Amino acid sequence: MTRRRAVALGILAILVVLVARYFVWVDVGARCVIGIRPSLVGYDNSTVKRALETLRHGSPEDYRKVCVHVGSINPNPSCGGFGGGCFWHGQNARGRASIDVSTEHGLIWTVAIVVHETCHAIQSHEGRPPGFDYEDECYNEDHRIMRALVQFE
Amino acid sequence: MKRWGLIAVVVLLVAWGWLRAFAWFDPLSACRIHIDVELLEGDRGAIRSAIDVVRREDPLVYRALCRWVDRIQEERQCDAGDPQADRRVRGGAGIPLDVLDPAIRRAREAPGCYVRGSRVIVLRRPPDGGGGPALVRERAEALKRLAGYSQAFWIDHGR
Repeated sequence: MTRRRAVALGILAILVVLVARYFVWVDVGARCVIGIRPSLVGYDNSTVKRALETLRHGSPEDYRKVCVHVGSINPNPSCGGFGGGCFWHGQNARGRASIDVSTEHGLIWTVAIVVHETCHAIQSHEGRPPGFDYEDECYNEDHRIMRALVQFE
Repeated sequence: MKRWGLIAVVVLLVAWGWLRAFAWFDPLSACRIHIDVELLEGDRGAIRSAIDVVRREDPLVYRALCRWVDRIQEERQCDAGDPQADRRVRGGAGIPLDVLDPAIRRAREAPGCYVRGSRVIVLRRPPDGGGGPALVRERAEALKRLAGYSQAFWIDHGR
């Protein structure tokens, strides 16, 4: 192997490790792969991964829903502002959705926002009757997961 | 030989500093717990003091803390529910938390909480930025209790 090829392979290996470490969630056992976009505001992607890990162990049913309905997570604050998340109802309802999730308020809220936006993805995939209160259903979902996972007394 | 020895010492010092800078690090107990605080308001020292109290007072609990908790985060409060789940709150009504759900208020007033499914403990930031021995004692007691919750979760989960 030439020196140049060895250097190229080394760089490629480092890139693969970095991408796997920061930009993708892979759970082979659950056949779950979710892309995580680069974060531009310093709240690093490890909070999103920690939230997914927490759901995986703390609420397997919610985790399964995330894996089925969400294809990528954008941790950058966008329409949800710095405190919340967002789901774009215009996106293709057949594919796995992309959701925006702010991680600024720590692990508990990141988990709650993932569950809230996944709820919107489910609504988009399953459809809801006219006049249905989309937010009511999803706020109840994030409230439920917070009540289930946060233990304080 | 002397030169390599010097390099080894420098590397060890840098590694020690790195492991200790953002965490509680106790190599003799093989214990490292990452500590997350706000960049400007946070104080890792107060959290380290509380862990040290646990270490001195209750070695068994300290072992559980090291084994079942890998991160302590200081947050404004513990949130055990989303007030916006109530339509009246979303509508802009100022409703006391007790009316909504007493658990939300109790969680916000608690010194800390454990997030089930993780190895993370959240400690409440002192509301007025205050510290002192009372805060260290309160947090030490919270850490003892919350480490037990994490231990119980993971032992149950492993079954």
